[in-house]
Amino acid sequence: MGLFDMMAISASALTAERQRAEVTTANLANAETTHTDSGGPYVRKEVVFSAVTGSPFRSVFNRLGRFAPQPGSVRLTEVMDDPAAPVMRYEPGNPEANGNGYVAYPAINPTEEMVDLMGSVRAYQLNASAVSASKQMIQESLDILKTS
Amino acid sequence: MATNPLLQVLEGYLQATTERQQLIVSNMANIDTPGYHARDLNFEQALQRAEGGADGMQLSPVVQEVQGLPERADGNDVNIDRESMLLSETQIQYQLGVQLVKGQFQQLLTAIKDSN
Repeated sequence: MGLFDMMAISASALTAERQRAEVTTANLANAETTHTDSGGPYVRKEVVFSAVTGSPFRSVFNRLGRFAPQPGSVRLTEVMDDPAAPVMRYEPGNPEANGNGYVAYPAINPTEEMVDLMGSVRAYQLNASAVSASKQMIQESLDILKTS
Repeated sequence: MATNPLLQVLEGYLQATTERQQLIVSNMANIDTPGYHARDLNFEQALQRAEGGADGMQLSPVVQEVQGLPERADGNDVNIDRESMLLSETQIQYQLGVQLVKGQFQQLLTAIKDSN
């Protein structure tokens, strides 16, 4: 318990924020993708974070082994499709154009994605510094052994 | 396990700081979780109770949600500055506890060495 649990919690946040950054960069990369395997333009993805609350049952599992995530950590529960309608642009020369000459583009605002990406990078940095704080505390507690 | 009463108190102090640090780290982890409310130990109250000797010098802090923090639009009220400040504060408190424990053992060692 204690110090190593702190690292597990921070690690869960690092994982979640990295996954969020991955989804955001995928959105940015596909901002102009008009054709996908499922047909139609690329659909913007959004992540859903949720906190892991410590139920007594889960904490018993935690003590037995690492089956359940640490209470207090965060995890990415779902990657959702953005329900926003695609943006129609008039491009009659495009092979993807419909009968009226319009092409469906994903409703992605690069500025919004960049801000989201910056947010996840900052949160990642914050949790990385929390990891080094935990590490330093563990190092200090090891110092008790070095008395003499 | 600790025979020295001061060592026992210090152990409780280290445990309380660890527990608090865990809550701070967990608040930091959930900085982007919608609807999450920051949690903290009621450290001062626990310390006062321990000083009063009601619980026999035992630190038994209570986990509670922090009141009075402004909520963001997504219902999350984690304040990044508050948490970063508390992170370093608790880290130093832990360091203090470790140094005091070391001092206790140092004294014990001195007593052993000077006995012959």
